[in-house]
Amino acid sequence: MSADTVDAAVGTIRGRKKVVAGVVGGALWLWLLARWAAHNTLLDSVFTAIGLPDLIRSEVRVGAREPWIPAEPFAAVAEALGGVAAAVGPAGVLVEWLAWPFELAAFATSTGPALAAGAFITVYLTVISMAFGLVIAVPLAVTRVYGGPISSSLSLAYTELIRGTPLLAQLFFFYFGLPLAGLVSGIGLMELPGAPRSAAVVAIIAFTVNSSAYQAEYIRAALQSVDEGQLTAARAVGLSKREGIRHVVLPQGLRFAIPGWTNEFVYLIKYSSLAAFITVPDMFRRARDIGSDTFQYTEIYVVVGLCYLGLVLTTAIAMQRLEDRVALPGVGTSTGRE
Amino acid sequence: MSLLRVDSVDKSYGDEPVLHDVSFGMDRQQVEVIVGPSGSGKSTLLRCVNRLTEIDSGEIYLDDEEIHGVDENELRRRVGMVFQDFNLFAHLTARGNITLGLREVLGLSKAEADAKADDYLDRVGLADQADSYPAELSGGQQQRVGIARALAMDPELILFDEPTSALDPELIGEVLTVMKDLAEEGMTMLCVTHEMGFARSAADTITFLDDGEIVERGPPEQLFENPEHERTGTFLGELTGLHQ
Ligand SMILES: Nc1ncnc2c1ncn2[C@@H]1O[C@H](COP(=O)(O)OP(=O)(O)O)[C@@H](O)[C@H]1O
Ligand SMILES: [Mg+2]
Repeated sequence: MSADTVDAAVGTIRGRKKVVAGVVGGALWLWLLARWAAHNTLLDSVFTAIGLPDLIRSEVRVGAREPWIPAEPFAAVAEALGGVAAAVGPAGVLVEWLAWPFELAAFATSTGPALAAGAFITVYLTVISMAFGLVIAVPLAVTRVYGGPISSSLSLAYTELIRGTPLLAQLFFFYFGLPLAGLVSGIGLMELPGAPRSAAVVAIIAFTVNSSAYQAEYIRAALQSVDEGQLTAARAVGLSKREGIRHVVLPQGLRFAIPGWTNEFVYLIKYSSLAAFITVPDMFRRARDIGSDTFQYTEIYVVVGLCYLGLVLTTAIAMQRLEDRVALPGVGTSTGRE
Repeated sequence: MSLLRVDSVDKSYGDEPVLHDVSFGMDRQQVEVIVGPSGSGKSTLLRCVNRLTEIDSGEIYLDDEEIHGVDENELRRRVGMVFQDFNLFAHLTARGNITLGLREVLGLSKAEADAKADDYLDRVGLADQADSYPAELSGGQQQRVGIARALAMDPELILFDEPTSALDPELIGEVLTVMKDLAEEGMTMLCVTHEMGFARSAADTITFLDDGEIVERGPPEQLFENPEHERTGTFLGELTGLHQ
C-alpha cells in the first residue's frame, strides 16, 4: 500500500501499520483502564459494599502507588551498557546513546502510576468538555446558519469572542475572575465519592465553553456543505424548517463534521494541559511535579510527550473508525467530497 | 370549479421582475405543461404555488381557498413537488425518502409508512430498490423515487420542475412513462418540461411563459399547429426540432 505516503490526516493509517497501531494503542488503553480501576474511589466503595474492601485501593496516595512493570531490568541493561561505554573509551559515546532509551524506560515505569492518575483527569476533562461542548455547539451552528439576523449574529459574536481570545485567559477568567470554584465547592454533590475537585469542574466549564465555539465552527461549515435542495425538498413534503433541519440537514451535516470534530478532540487532549495552571492534577501537572522533584526534566517531558501522543493517536484512530462506521453511500465518506 | 387558480400574480427578486400578471386556472385531473425559455420564471411560478417563494401581489387559490390563509406545511402536504435535480434525501434509502414525510407529516406508524412506501416504490417500478441509497441509484431511478415520494403524501396536485432535464437521454423514457401513467390515472399535474412528446400526448393545456408573462395558452394542437403568436411558434418549433 503506497497510499500510506499520501495519507495526510492522523488516524488514516492502513494495512500492517494499522494492526501495530491497534495493538500498541490497545495495550496503552488496557494499562490505563486497569490503573484507573485499581485506585478508583467509586469502584472501591462498590467493592467494599459487597465485602471486598481490599480489591480496589483508592486510599493509596498517587505518589505511593506501585508500578506494575518493574524498572529494574531496564535499569540493569542501562547500567551494563554504561559499563561497556566506560570500557571502550572515546567511542563509548555511541554506546551511551544506546543506553539512554533503557534509562528512559526505567524512568517511565517508575513514573507510570502518577502519569496514569494524571491521564485519567486529562481524559475526563477532554471527554466531558467535548460532550457538553457538542450539546452547545449544535444549536449554535444551527442558529448561525438558519437563524434570523439577530440570533445568527449573537451566535457569530459568541464563537468569534471565544475563538479570538486565548484559552488560558478564559480559564483564568473562570477560575480567578468569577468565583466559580467557590460556588462549585458549595454544591452538595461535590462531597460524593469520586466527584472531581472544584478546580477540575471550573476547567470543564472553561473547556466546554471554548470547545463549543470551535465545534460550532466545524459544524457550521459542515451544515453549509449540505446541499440547499435537501432542506427545500424536506419543506416541499410538508416538514417545517425545524423538522427539516433535524431529520435531513443534521444527519448529513454531523457526518460531514466528524473530521473537524476529530481535530478539535485532538486539540483539546493537548490543550487540557492548561488546567495544570489552575491546580488540576492532570497528566501535565503530574509530569511537571515529577520534573521538579527529580530534576529529570528531559526524561519526564519526553515520557509525558509520548503519553499525549499515545492518547492523540488512539483517539484519531477511533474517530476514523467512527467516521467509517456511520458513513452511508454518498454521505460522510471523507473521500470524494469537496 | 378549478382546483388551482392563479390570479394576477406578480413577483420580483429585488428590482428584477420575474413574474408579471400571471393568471390561469386548472381543473382536477388536468395536466398542464408550462414551457418557456430559461429564466422566464417557470420555476418561480411553481415555487409560488407551494409557497417555497412568496408572491408580491395577486392571489392563488387551491380548492377555492387562498393559499396564504392555509398553514404552509399543510399546503405543501397537499401540493407535491418533483425537482429537476431530484433532491432525494441523501442519507435515507429509497424507502426512507418516502417514509420521512409519511411519519413526520401524516403521523403514520413505522409499519404503515413502510408498507405504503413499498407500495409506491412498486408503482414506479422500484420495488427491488427500497433499501438502496440515492447514491446507489441511476438518475432515472432517483427521479422515480422522487415522484413516489411526492405521490405517497396523497397530494391534490403535483408540481414537476423539469423532471427530466438533468437526466441522460437514455434515462428520460422511464421517468416520462411514470408521468404518463400518472396522467392517465387522473393525477392533477402542473409540469414544467421541454419534452414535447409528453406535452403533445399527455397535456390538456400548454402555457407558453416568456419573460415572466403568459404569452399564449391553449390545447396542444392549437399551440403546435396554429399558434396565435409568432414567438410561440418559433419557440415550440425549436424545441420540437431539438428533441427529434
Ligand atoms: N432566489 C432567487 N433570488 C434572486 N433571483 C432569482 C431567484 N430565483 C430565481 N431568480 C431569477 O428569477 C428569474 C427566473 O428564474 P426561474 O424562475 O428559475 O426561471 P426558469 O425556471 O424559467 O429558468 C431568473 O432571472 C433568475 O435569475
Ligand atoms: Mg427552472
